[in-house]
Amino acid sequence: AAVPGCYLHPLNVTVRSDHEGTCQGSLVVQACVGHCESSAFPSRYSVLVASDYRRTITSVSECCTISSLKKEKLQVQCPGNRRVSMDIYTARACQCNVCRFARY
Amino acid sequence: TSSYNLSTFVGCTVREFTFVARKSGCRGLRITTDACWGRCETWERPMLRPPYIAAHHRVCTYNETKQVTVQLPNCTAGVDPSYTYPVAVRCNCMGCSTATTECETI
Repeated sequence: AAVPGCYLHPLNVTVRSDHEGTCQGSLVVQACVGHCESSAFPSRYSVLVASDYRRTITSVSECCTISSLKKEKLQVQCPGNRRVSMDIYTARACQCNVCRFARY
Repeated sequence: TSSYNLSTFVGCTVREFTFVARKSGCRGLRITTDACWGRCETWERPMLRPPYIAAHHRVCTYNETKQVTVQLPNCTAGVDPSYTYPVAVRCNCMGCSTATTECETI
């Protein structure tokens, strides 16, 4: 069962590089996955006035974030036994922190 | 909701919330209502290309709302005593919409 908090979580990543997509490599990288606290409640009067009564709800939240990244080398295997090395990021530490909503 | 163990609860639920409804020209009124609280699943994972981190961030917030209007006490003459606030009917893990919500961090 899920427990509160934000933790490292291994992800299998397969990379196909090259314009033709013929080079391939895979690696386990760390993501951050978890359950952080959030709440929503009626906005204070000052928020109502400042938003012209549109923001009637205030959400106070934290989300699971990557607090530290590190680079790892991924060996990509190409045709003819050619090898290419590329950098790939992996999470080193996780933390319940500021949510990012830029995409929504 | 009192049967939940709050320190281990995972998910998003309606929870009792008490606040003081205030506006200038009236006395405040203490109100206990239904709001939202919980722990939503969120994640971030590395990406090969900029911005290098993909985020899936959701918060526990109002999914279905009803509006309740109360009368604030002791308002000065000419001040409308009515105060309207949202009551949570259902709560869900969702994106925080700045159109309807003041999105803050802890």
